[in-house]
Amino acid sequence: MTQPVTIIMIEDDEGHARLIERNIRRSGVNNEIVSFKNGTDAMQHLFGADGSGLVQKGNALLILLDLNLPDMTGIDILRQIKENKYLKASPVVVLTTTDDSQEIKRCYELGCNVYITKPVNYENFANAIRQLGLFFSVIQVPPAAP
Amino acid sequence: MTAEAQRRRAFWQILLISAGLLVLTVISAGSVYLVNKAREDNKWVVHTIEVENQINSLLLEIRRAESSARGFLLTQAESFKIDHEKAVAGVIPALDKLTRQSGDNPAQRENIEKLSAAIEMRLGQFAQEMEFIRQGQPDKAAALIREVVSTDATTAITRVATGMIQEEERLFRIRTENSDRSQTLAASMTGIGSGLVVLLALISTWLVRRSARARDEAEARLRDANVNLESVVDERTADLREANDEIQRFAYIVSHDLRSPLVNIMGFTSELEELGGDIFRRIGGLAQVSANGAPLAPAGPGEIVLDGADKQLSEDFSEALGFIKSSIAKMDRLISAILNLTREGRREFQPVKIDTNELIEAIVSTLAHQAAEAQAEIHLEALPNVVSDRLALEQIFSNLIDNAIKYLKNGVPGEIRIRGRTKLGYAIFEISDNGRGIDPKDHQRIFDLFRRAGTQDKPGQGIGLAHVRALVRRLGGTMSVSSELNAGSTFTITLPIAWNVSNRNRD
Repeated sequence: MTQPVTIIMIEDDEGHARLIERNIRRSGVNNEIVSFKNGTDAMQHLFGADGSGLVQKGNALLILLDLNLPDMTGIDILRQIKENKYLKASPVVVLTTTDDSQEIKRCYELGCNVYITKPVNYENFANAIRQLGLFFSVIQVPPAAP
Repeated sequence: MTAEAQRRRAFWQILLISAGLLVLTVISAGSVYLVNKAREDNKWVVHTIEVENQINSLLLEIRRAESSARGFLLTQAESFKIDHEKAVAGVIPALDKLTRQSGDNPAQRENIEKLSAAIEMRLGQFAQEMEFIRQGQPDKAAALIREVVSTDATTAITRVATGMIQEEERLFRIRTENSDRSQTLAASMTGIGSGLVVLLALISTWLVRRSARARDEAEARLRDANVNLESVVDERTADLREANDEIQRFAYIVSHDLRSPLVNIMGFTSELEELGGDIFRRIGGLAQVSANGAPLAPAGPGEIVLDGADKQLSEDFSEALGFIKSSIAKMDRLISAILNLTREGRREFQPVKIDTNELIEAIVSTLAHQAAEAQAEIHLEALPNVVSDRLALEQIFSNLIDNAIKYLKNGVPGEIRIRGRTKLGYAIFEISDNGRGIDPKDHQRIFDLFRRAGTQDKPGQGIGLAHVRALVRRLGGTMSVSSELNAGSTFTITLPIAWNVSNRNRD
């Protein structure tokens, strides 16, 4: 039985979150979106109270991650997700304003699946998000591990 | 140490050497004089002894003559006679010699006259004695001898001679004393002089050692100062580097964080624009509905034609949004420029050997199209090769050549010249053009970020030269411009021929 994919959005800027959500919806993706405004709450949700990640066992997730968070860096979250046996199969899309090549390289090294720079130009921004919607329809979210 | 002290020491040293020379001269002259005097005195002493000897030998001759005469008288032996004659013959020359020797002394001369008279008299008596003996009258001879003994001729000879000897002995004593005195004088003079010279030498040595010590101390101080200076320079460099890094981080974070709200502003402005479109379409639709009284099918964009006040509202709305969007776009460009600059500033430079001519030829060929459009010719002269960062050099030269092409005078064929030379470990490059030039009051301004000068008829952000100067500085070089309005510009770049990572590298 296939499970609908839940989109976890970790984005401290409400405006960005709203714009991302809108554009995802516009691209025809209707999956549930759970947003978090800071890293701590997101970690709590992803890894559970015991921090083992067991709570998400069997859930199909797609994680949208901003790197600049008020309480921790997105890089740390990315690393922990990719080190956790229950979460590491979930695709992670890094969405941030940084277009620094070093940082992009680092994210890919840590196992990020897609890196999207938020351009100021709204057309491009909307396009990027919409392509992400296309990406959602193409990717095969791995079946929940037994 | 002060120059005054140095001069004083030099003066003292010269004075010491002069004093040493003077003392040596005086000692030499004094010694020569005193040695001569001593020799003279010695000669007189010897002379006195000779005179005394001569007197004694004269007396001896007379005694010999006397005793041989008596022997002859007693024995009539021929050998005594010969002896006597020999002695008598020796008396006169001995007397003559004595006369010559003591000619210098008036007292002795008087004595000699007396002595001569006595001796002559005695010789006369000898001759008489001998005559008597020869004539066979020994009695008369004996009587004569007795008479002679009683007369004062012999006593006179003895007395005068003794006087003379005493006189000579007196002279001997005086002259010996004189001689001793001069010799002592000479010895003391030499001794004192030598002592003085040794003293002066000691003082001189002391002075030299003191100055050597002062020099060593000065050298040590200089070394300390150098070491200190180096550490101070290192410290300052570290501080500056830290400050620079901080500015870079600051610029990076600020520009980065500014971008985040900008994404929202732009995003929601675009949303507003769409919303606005929807609203005005709706207004248009409603207006038409109220005018025609008939409902309309949903209209596509652009199908609704607004009129009157509604049209004006829509245009104002679009205009305002247009300004907002263009300002956001501009702000984004500025932030991107700062980000790029800080990114450049954080890039590690790699020093490699660069064939400058080849590098610039490559740049010129990529700019050939622009150059042809601007009717510009680029002349490249032989340039010195350097060890530096390739990408940085490419950016520096392409920015400058691009600028030169971009800011030519309208209607005047451009002529861009790139020259190079080396000086004291630095390569100096000059990029000159015959373009529109830069007002001297703007020479500083053109290197500032986002600042431009002259007629603003070309697109640009005011970043190029700021970037170029930042790169040149990071490569340990300097750059300057010399230009007059309408008289072309020359940009001069001075770069170290062999740039070393360690002198500017972070970490």
